[in-house]
Amino acid sequence: MPGSPIIELRNLGKHYGNTVALDDINLDILDNEAFALLGPNGAGKTTLLHILCSILTPDSGTATIAGFDVVRQPLRARKNLGVVFQEPSLDDRLTVYENLDFHCLIYQVPARERKRRIAEVLELVELSDWRDKLVRTLSSGMKRRLEIARALVHDSRIVFLDEPTVGLDVQSRARIWGYLDELRKRRQLTLVVTTHYIEEVENCDRVCIIDQGRIMAIGTPAGLKSDYGHQSLRVVPIDADALGEIRAAYPEAGQQDDELVMPVPDDHFAGAFLARYGNRVKEFVLDTPSLEQVFLALTGRALRDKEASGRERTYAFGRRGGEHTR
Amino acid sequence: MHLLGGVYAIWLREVKRALRDRGQLIGGISRPLLWVLIMGIGLNPYFRGEIYGEVRFVVPYTYLQFIFPAVIVLNIMYTSVQSAVSVIWDREFGFLREVLVSPMPRSLILFGKILGGTTVAVLHGCLVLILARFADVTFGLDQLLKGLGLMALLAFGLTSLGVIIANRVRSFEGFGVFSNAIILPLYFTSSSIFPLDPALSRAQMTVIYPEWLIVLVTWNPITYAVDALRGVFLNFNQFDPMLGPTIILAMAVGFFLIALWEFQRN
Repeated sequence: MPGSPIIELRNLGKHYGNTVALDDINLDILDNEAFALLGPNGAGKTTLLHILCSILTPDSGTATIAGFDVVRQPLRARKNLGVVFQEPSLDDRLTVYENLDFHCLIYQVPARERKRRIAEVLELVELSDWRDKLVRTLSSGMKRRLEIARALVHDSRIVFLDEPTVGLDVQSRARIWGYLDELRKRRQLTLVVTTHYIEEVENCDRVCIIDQGRIMAIGTPAGLKSDYGHQSLRVVPIDADALGEIRAAYPEAGQQDDELVMPVPDDHFAGAFLARYGNRVKEFVLDTPSLEQVFLALTGRALRDKEASGRERTYAFGRRGGEHTR
Repeated sequence: MHLLGGVYAIWLREVKRALRDRGQLIGGISRPLLWVLIMGIGLNPYFRGEIYGEVRFVVPYTYLQFIFPAVIVLNIMYTSVQSAVSVIWDREFGFLREVLVSPMPRSLILFGKILGGTTVAVLHGCLVLILARFADVTFGLDQLLKGLGLMALLAFGLTSLGVIIANRVRSFEGFGVFSNAIILPLYFTSSSIFPLDPALSRAQMTVIYPEWLIVLVTWNPITYAVDALRGVFLNFNQFDPMLGPTIILAMAVGFFLIALWEFQRN
């Protein structure tokens, strides 16, 4: 169960030249919760994490981890921290075990416990059989799992995961979330995850939507959806008569082929509709609001940049002075 | 106390990586073989301290003996400056971050790293010592210990220098060129392969050597490092016997402080 704040940000600001990366951020992250930072690329998620890891120094404001100021007491603040960076940070010329052992030593894990803990985390991420292999022989999914194991091996209270599943296939992504869920059942752990995979934040306790260095909204996934999302009802009437009748009763409904889409203003709407027209429709779908919708409503754009279409690519090529002849 | 474990881990990683890198090991073995066995033996008969048929001063040693301590310095120079590659590697491949977010103070991170490079460099220096009997260099245990101490101090200074250089270089390719452009000129102008005649006045010396070369040799700190090792292994000094060790110590302290200052700044 989430408890008192373990990470506290007060009026935190950071800019690069004229670009504002973080604009006066105030945020509490609670002990033992899974907290997601959701935002498009360049929103300031990574900057925020780097300030908390004391790799970057903020221009203004303060940040504390477990009561330790990250600028004034960086060593003590970091001691409670496990970090998985966006880019890999393993030594691929050392073995799996050596990487973990190195980590234990620099995090001052007592000698008696080192072996046991390493075995434990390797077990968790299913890499026990790879213990003595050089890291460069591992696949990217396995490397990511090893990094997660490494972030946990010193009994960290807080783990930061910066885009932990980016670039991995669906199966590896699901596996990584499986380990994290498993782990949260076993011990007290605060997870701070940045991601732009919206489906991954659904199982977090709280979500913070951040865009252009500002916090747009914080809340539970369900709370955000009910605050910013909207439900809609899609029905396919059985025949043209039914269609006409329903359209007359609900003038706000939009029509797509033989399907009608209408906004759902409250919880009783769907029930009332069914009671009246339940026997006149062959398809009835209640769209629940998604975080994607919430995000769109708050920032005015979709989370993932759409890939440029073929035609746009050609235009861009032409603008750069490209030749079309071969 | 726990922090020592972290320094040990960083040191151990450096040593392991270097020992697993075959290329570096081959370089460390082939260099002394080339310089001592081929260059040394080849030039040995031509080295009698006479210039224009006239003996002005006598180096009471064979060329092989004369060049031997210099080859130790050469091997240390290569290895310790090369160990800066590991700094670039850490930065480019993200491992540096793993260390930077740990509860280790930066000064100790740097110290462990440089200590690791130093150890590898001294090991490579010892590869040259194995050839001592082929070069007719004999020394007792006390000389060996004194020599190892000086080698370690020199390696520490040069590894720190390597880190300072690495901070200014963005790519591996750049570093290769850069390090060769530094090591070989420093080596050749350190009175490593030809002696300066200490008995001559400066005016007399310029008769034998051009002015610019004498300036380079006397300003080159490596000259005194080589001289210090000659003092230990051959009991032969071209300069004041205390000058060498002093300059080696000054380099170690000076370069480390600069490296530390830079590392803590960014």
